[in-house]
Amino acid sequence: MSAQGPFSGADPFSAAHLAPWKEFVDRLGMGESNFSAMFAGAPALGLGREYQETVQRLLDLSRQFQQRYAEFAQQNVAVMQDAFHVMKKRVDAAPSALKSPADLYDAWIDCAEGAYHQAAHSDSFARLLADLCNISSAIKVERGKLTEQLARHLDLPSRAEVDSLHRQVRELIATVRAAAGAASSPAKAPAAAPAPAAAPAKPARTPRKRSKK
Amino acid sequence: MSATPDSLAQLLQSAAAMQESGRAVLKTMLGMGEIEVGTSEKRCVYSEDKMRLYRYAPLARSAGLKPLLICYAMVNRPYLLDLQPDRSFIRELLHAGLDVYLLDWGYPDGADRFSSFDDYVDGYLRRCVEFVLKEHGIDALTLLGVCQGGTMSLCYAALEPRQIAQLITMVTPVDFKTPENLLSKWAQHIDVGLLTQSGNVSGDFLNLVYLSLMPFRLTQQKYVNLLQMQGDRVQLENFMRMEKWIFDSPDQPAAAFREFIQWFFQENRLIRGELTLAGNAVRLENVTAPVLNIFASKDHLVPPSASIPLGAHVGSKDYEALEIDAGHIGLYVGGKTRKTVPAAVVAWLRKRN
Repeated sequence: MSAQGPFSGADPFSAAHLAPWKEFVDRLGMGESNFSAMFAGAPALGLGREYQETVQRLLDLSRQFQQRYAEFAQQNVAVMQDAFHVMKKRVDAAPSALKSPADLYDAWIDCAEGAYHQAAHSDSFARLLADLCNISSAIKVERGKLTEQLARHLDLPSRAEVDSLHRQVRELIATVRAAAGAASSPAKAPAAAPAPAAAPAKPARTPRKRSKK
Repeated sequence: MSATPDSLAQLLQSAAAMQESGRAVLKTMLGMGEIEVGTSEKRCVYSEDKMRLYRYAPLARSAGLKPLLICYAMVNRPYLLDLQPDRSFIRELLHAGLDVYLLDWGYPDGADRFSSFDDYVDGYLRRCVEFVLKEHGIDALTLLGVCQGGTMSLCYAALEPRQIAQLITMVTPVDFKTPENLLSKWAQHIDVGLLTQSGNVSGDFLNLVYLSLMPFRLTQQKYVNLLQMQGDRVQLENFMRMEKWIFDSPDQPAAAFREFIQWFFQENRLIRGELTLAGNAVRLENVTAPVLNIFASKDHLVPPSASIPLGAHVGSKDYEALEIDAGHIGLYVGGKTRKTVPAAVVAWLRKRN
């Protein structure tokens, strides 16, 4: 582009030129920092409401995950600090016991595992791990919904479709197995009947259950 | 260590030696090639979906004992029991003249996501037991369950006590809610329904959990200790075999995994007598066959307290508990235990035949 072109002179996209627009957007509460918060709380309306809800849930879950992960990282820092304290006590108590770097390293691992063990057995640690796991699972489920919608749009087999077919195949296998079992040993049925009576704690089997995959 | 010139010199010497060891380890590892596992001769005698039932070729004259069916856990591969010729629990049993069958669950995939715990115990395991019984024309066999496979074996033995002549459980959790059980503590608040809603649970996820039980030892110290092997090819091959086994973890079928975590870890149904499989109550008092319960004193995955209570709940009058000074895996591949444990199993079986 030549210097004499229509856009010669000051850059129209420069920060200075955009500043008034940015100020206007910020005044409306739609600034960069507020956008995700605004979107997350916006009511889901119109044609795209289903997608919007899914994306909103994903955003909320991501925020929750970040929050819990920060707590997890903090917990790990506390574990390391505890480990250092124990290690220091150990070295102070018997400085000559650690004769080589290998001894020092092994002692450090013992201290670290000891501190971690104590934290890991606490209920708060278990809840933190479970939260991280549960939030990740929920993200996976929501992500799956978006993928499912995309697959439908592209006329590709979706997870739901494959699952549905799979359930039908399982039912067919069970039916065939039951039929094959009945056909191969018709005389066995009466002989098997007394079994539940001999062991009253065990309810009689239904043919369907017995013939599972 | 105080900071004197001598100690600094020693430190530098150690660092140089470590660097040299690291170079030797790397060089040996790069020249190793493919790692072989599970080398004992076997053939598939029955299969269904991903599951395979193998029968091992005999290595000695038959001891005249009942055929032994090994039911391994679903969360790892069963070749741990036949890791290499000189570290093979199965080979030791074969040398003693046992007829050994191994149930291998395979690698479940998306097509198995609806397979339930029922399907595995009352389906696959049942049909393997019935296959072996038919093959030998007998009414009962010896069932040996390992870890989760031990829990499954217990369930089956409670459902079909007449088909089990002897039951051996190895590092098998029975009481899932003891204070030492870290896995169980972590499992209590997991929404396992949500976890499995998106399908199978990956083996990588499980490995991450296992590593988190002892993160410093299992993700750091173990590899630093490699330097002590000084490039010893045999030791490094052993290490790599174990490394392969540890991370060769199958995905877990969603439905079966959900039920296992919920029913066993969260609700402790087995020991409370509240478990129902295939419409039948699973009561440990129905286990009337002789039971040998082997557990490891240093087991961080299935602590002894999870296995020991079995004796108080089975209906068998012939119950024996055997504590081994080893960890969960060391029980099979440890220096001494790889010989003593199978020998103890064989001796126990001989007494009862």
